[in-house]
Amino acid sequence: MENLEGRLTKLALKGDQRAFAELVELYKDKIYHLAYRMLNNRHEAEDVVQETFLRVYRNLDRYDDKQKFSTWIYRIGTNLCIDRLRKRRPTYSLDAEMNDQEGIDGYSMIPSDNVTPETELLLSETQSLIYEAIDSLPVKYRSVMILRYLQDLSLQEISDVLDMPVTTIKTRVHRGREFLRKKLGPKL
Amino acid sequence: MECKLAVSMMHDYLDDDLPELQQRELKEHLLSCTGCRAKFKELEQTDMLMFSLMHQTPVASEDLVGRIMNSLPKPKKERAFITWIKRHPALTAASVFIFVMLMSSVTFWNQDRQLVVRGTDLDQVVIKGDTVIVPSGKIISGDLTVENGKTQVYGEVNGNVTVIDGSLYQASTAHISGQVKSIDQAVSWLWYKVTNMFSEVAYR
Ligand SMILES: [Zn+2]
Repeated sequence: MENLEGRLTKLALKGDQRAFAELVELYKDKIYHLAYRMLNNRHEAEDVVQETFLRVYRNLDRYDDKQKFSTWIYRIGTNLCIDRLRKRRPTYSLDAEMNDQEGIDGYSMIPSDNVTPETELLLSETQSLIYEAIDSLPVKYRSVMILRYLQDLSLQEISDVLDMPVTTIKTRVHRGREFLRKKLGPKL
Repeated sequence: MECKLAVSMMHDYLDDDLPELQQRELKEHLLSCTGCRAKFKELEQTDMLMFSLMHQTPVASEDLVGRIMNSLPKPKKERAFITWIKRHPALTAASVFIFVMLMSSVTFWNQDRQLVVRGTDLDQVVIKGDTVIVPSGKIISGDLTVENGKTQVYGEVNGNVTVIDGSLYQASTAHISGQVKSIDQAVSWLWYKVTNMFSEVAYR
């Protein structure tokens, strides 16, 4: 029995561009979401998505279909995000705080099909608080928390993606949750 | 139960990782300890908020997929040729004309139907209207190329069969020893013409 991703990777490996496009369709939103929450910046998130798929494409021959495709692609995406966060300069993180909170910065003021009135309405004060809190999490907790809550990944799956023992992941989820509780608790 | 243990159990509970027996123990502690009860409520709220917020998906630009696909390294031959066509649309139109003119001088060309049949052993082939037939029992030694027509193979072809802008029917009795190629798209058809012309010129 072969999964859909396994079939598509094999076809893509033979040069079938449509099969690869299919994989992109299946995972682009997931990786974009992951990168957007990790980096809190649209442009950077799109760059990461592009880079992730380029790496997937170049390493198709190394994909082992006994492994879940999602685990593999999340690993590539997460590592790219972590690399970017490490390379950010201290001055940049000051900018980043101003950066890309929907409705605040210049970029999102540009009329776009993506920002519907509904999504703007939905971004309440509570939401901004939560996103700020996530953004202030140290990177090692942030990646774990985002993977945990983004796609309902289990502790075991997160440990596969990050290549760390489950016990470490568990500790980080607990500490991350405590961190968020302390930031948000008084405001809730 | 100590409060410290209770807190660790709260996290396990939220991770969906607490056995039922211990869930009951935790519940009992929460009923008796107001401090832990308040903390549990906060943790549970944080957890719920995270879940609900994280499921609001941001939307990437619409052209992202296109950009991704364009950034992929492409098979070299095809890309070079297609970009060349895109860059020189007028030239391409002229070249098509020239190629077609050149080809018509070297192929058997039926003016009425524009059916083109090319091969080394054509007297074994039966042509009916726009249909080219390799009858059963007949053996064609060499390649067979048909443009703008239907091809039906019942017999044997000891070579390649190429069908351009047409259909190919292979009967169960058919035997083709070489490659079978169907070319429909204008681009690959053009590509075929170019490479084929060069090889023909080279062999002369
Ligand atoms: Zn207690």
